[in-house]
Amino acid sequence: MKILLVEDETALRDSIIAYFTEEGNICETAEDYAAALTKINIYNYDCIVLDLTLPDGDGMELLRKLKQMHKTDGVLIISARHSLDDKLSGLNLGADDYLVKPFHLSELKARVSAIVRRKSFDGNNLIVFHEINIDTLAMRTTVGETNINLTKKEYDLLVYFIANQRKVITKSALAEHLWGDEIDLSDHFDFIYTHIKNLRKKLVEAGCNDYIKSMYGVGYKFSS
Amino acid sequence: MRLAQKYNRVNLFTSLIILVLSGAIYYFAIHYILTNKLDNDLKIEEEEILASVREYHKLPLPSDFKDQKVTYHELKKGDTTDRGFSNTWYYNPEEKETEPGRSLNTSVKLGEKDYAVTITKSSLEAEDLVRLIFLITLGIIVLLLISLTVVNRFVLSSLWRPFYEMLKQLKAFNLADKNEFSVQHTQIDEFQELNQSVISMSSRVRQDYKELKSFTDNASHEMMTPLAVINSKLDTLIQTESLTDKQGELIEDVYLAVNKLSRLNQSLLLLAKIENNLIKDEEDIALDVLLAQKLRQFNELFIANEIEVEKYLEPQQLHMSKYLADILLNNLINNAIRHNKQHGKIKIALQTGLLTISNTGSQKALNGHSVFERFYKDASSEGTGLGLAITSQICNLYQYKLSYSYQAEHHIFSLKF
Repeated sequence: MKILLVEDETALRDSIIAYFTEEGNICETAEDYAAALTKINIYNYDCIVLDLTLPDGDGMELLRKLKQMHKTDGVLIISARHSLDDKLSGLNLGADDYLVKPFHLSELKARVSAIVRRKSFDGNNLIVFHEINIDTLAMRTTVGETNINLTKKEYDLLVYFIANQRKVITKSALAEHLWGDEIDLSDHFDFIYTHIKNLRKKLVEAGCNDYIKSMYGVGYKFSS
Repeated sequence: MRLAQKYNRVNLFTSLIILVLSGAIYYFAIHYILTNKLDNDLKIEEEEILASVREYHKLPLPSDFKDQKVTYHELKKGDTTDRGFSNTWYYNPEEKETEPGRSLNTSVKLGEKDYAVTITKSSLEAEDLVRLIFLITLGIIVLLLISLTVVNRFVLSSLWRPFYEMLKQLKAFNLADKNEFSVQHTQIDEFQELNQSVISMSSRVRQDYKELKSFTDNASHEMMTPLAVINSKLDTLIQTESLTDKQGELIEDVYLAVNKLSRLNQSLLLLAKIENNLIKDEEDIALDVLLAQKLRQFNELFIANEIEVEKYLEPQQLHMSKYLADILLNNLINNAIRHNKQHGKIKIALQTGLLTISNTGSQKALNGHSVFERFYKDASSEGTGLGLAITSQICNLYQYKLSYSYQAEHHIFSLKF
């Protein structure tokens, strides 16, 4: 996928690029409003990751410009503004999602993947990872030819893992993804262990390889 | 005691004393002057008698007319009379009554014989005059006191009105609301000065308060970006292939600290936002439905902590922000889980106008006052110490009454709508 990252903070920009750039992903960057506007004018992107507070302008304005140009690029807003108004007006202006800083890179990746998947008009709502097939419209998971019944949480977990394949994902990122930040899980990270154990069991029973690897201390990694 | 009352009292008291004193002095002075005049008249009469004796070598006839009486009697050998004035009584034959009088005793030598002469004059007129003057003085005192009281009551109270007006506004002064002081125009310099000082003071205080609030807001905002950088660098760091278990553990601790810091930051931002009344998306909310939904969300946590939940939900409609309603319930339920014990209990009851959430936990009651203060928490608690402060702030915003009590080993938080 082709991504434009509009973010003025160099350190954050570098981390995001490092996380996204690999196997066919193209990740371009713009560090301010003017640069972003130029790139948007020339190219089309699958997803634009947009910071709202830019040194020379408001990210919201870029959203308006995109709409005027009738572009269909997916937009994910990342902002330190934890304001409901910003969130709502961002989504009203055609942004697809809103992520509040600070966030986990794995969460960002999962959200961007979801946007790109939704935006692809060729009916590509299939996630494939080796023998695992997920139909995101029907929310149906098959391993080879075998259907497996996953709970909502197990399904979310699997999609999240595949979006962040070959990456180490922290327990807190997984917990926040599954339960949101409403429920304060800081004391109960181990609690996602049950869900992972069940998912792994269901996958293996259906004849799937065990892709979920536990990384001591930090979290999990989904890789072949 | 009010200033006007105190002033009135002192004022009236001193005027009374001074007036009474001056009345007395007045009385004696007039009395003295009139007596002097009477004495002069008596002396003139004496001289006339002496002159007549020298001229005609005989005593004039004893006379008794017009408030004046002259009597003589012969003095025996060796007797002398001292010349002098005295107060006596004077019998008025016309009025047939005794009046106060003034007499002069003197002596006259006629040939070989000495005669004592007593000239008496009625001092009734003089006494009447003194009495009249005294009565007038008394009348003036009473009139003066009455007019002083009236003036004090009406004039003073109207003079002080701007002061009391300002006092009323000062009492109602609230840092958070934006109403400026409305100043009554006054001619009095002191009050004008007071009004100006109060206005400039209040605007200075408001400005400081605003700056303090925006400082919290800005500081929290500015911290979000570095936190995001730390988080993203940690996410990048853990992708390193050669990470040892020990390093993994260290990184996990850093994650926890960053996570806690960002939650703290968000809570502070939220508090600032609620205080500034910036969250306005109010709508009608069925609290019972929302609460049931929350309990489903938290169900896994209840099971994981082996907590038994009892619920009793009656329909209850509220008009508030959905966002804040979420936070309110989340905080109360999170709190009840966090401070619970193994195999504990949570009871949630929603009746019309009242929500109570009680949980088992430590055997000791919490401090009912400080429990809603910022950063109040148990030494062992992992929380930010802001959850209940936010809850209480939300309740303040909508004028709900939030209270804490400890009964039968249950910590009870109740919320009256």
